Amino acid sequence: MTNPLGTRLDATFKGVELRSGVDGRLAVVVPREAIVPVLTFLKEDGYDYLQLISCVDWIDRGEFELVYLLSFYTEDEVGRDGGKQEVLLKATVPREQASAPTATGVFAIAEPHEREIHELYGIHFEGHPRLTPLFLDRDYEIPPFRKDFDTKQYVADVFDRVPPIDEEG
Amino acid sequence: MDRNQLMKWIKAPTKMAHKYSLNAVYFCTGCGVIEVPPTITSRWDAERFGVVPTATARQANLFLITGYVSVKTLRAIIRTYEQMPEPKYTVGFGSCTINGGMYWDSYNTINQLDKYIPIDGYIAGCMPRPEAIFVAVTHLWTLIDKDMADGYKRYRKNYAAYRANQEMILGEMEWPPIFQTEVATAITEREG
Ligand code: SF4
Repeated sequence: MTNPLGTRLDATFKGVELRSGVDGRLAVVVPREAIVPVLTFLKEDGYDYLQLISCVDWIDRGEFELVYLLSFYTEDEVGRDGGKQEVLLKATVPREQASAPTATGVFAIAEPHEREIHELYGIHFEGHPRLTPLFLDRDYEIPPFRKDFDTKQYVADVFDRVPPIDEEG
Repeated sequence: MDRNQLMKWIKAPTKMAHKYSLNAVYFCTGCGVIEVPPTITSRWDAERFGVVPTATARQANLFLITGYVSVKTLRAIIRTYEQMPEPKYTVGFGSCTINGGMYWDSYNTINQLDKYIPIDGYIAGCMPRPEAIFVAVTHLWTLIDKDMADGYKRYRKNYAAYRANQEMILGEMEWPPIFQTEVATAITEREG
């Protein structure tokens, strides 16, 4: 791996897998436990902006993939390694035991992102200060963004079941 | 004043007044609301048609529901609608209010708005152009003239059914029914 940041990450953490950056991004795949240490490392390295946290449900593999997209507010801080790039941090959690350590300790902005993922995918974030519903008003048996949530069935069961108003009666 | 309308003014002045002063609640849902700011400002100038936006529901008589309605918004819509004084008119704007539109299979949008509140007319399209709002307004005038914009009367008459539907989706609602059945019947008998 010729990427300097990649080399340093490789040297510091065990079990870190690097994928070459398509479109200028470096993808770092880490084990679940390493999410917070690697985020801290990257933050200290100048990646001080957590753009988003997203989640993918790989139902065939039986796991969720959390994706943290990091970039920076100022250029020269990152210029240190000679190249600007965005970093994608990826980690998987098993579907049966969907829980991950919270990133709120490193990036405060992770709070709403994690609440959203908690609500839509049902992933528990250990140590999150406020895992309350963010958008939704109803309770769902299966969180609605999971691949095994059948939206058509749900609509048929809930919204289509409401009868039209019989105006003549 | 249009002299052809003189007889209408003499016969039913209140109806004419309602027609030409439609105060729309400034309540935005869904993407369709993007069309509302140009409609009410100088580009299309809804005031030509007597339509002005109003900040509070308690002074409005036109409710333009501008797009898909999520469960949370439905709660707010019902509250807003119930606060408006009669006579009040509702217009569903965009296909989402008719049958769910492109959100027909969404986990969080109610599909048919008229199951929960009465609708006097729909504007089809995704999203409709501002001109369509004016077509709707002139249609609404005709409906008011012919006493066919009677959504608020239907609401009163079938309130129990509407409330049951609302509770089916929203669960327990945090405000009591606005009409007792006997009261609603009495008003209906008195005012039609
Ligand atoms: S009808 Fe189209 S424009 Fe209107 S709210 Fe639905 S999707 Fe958006």
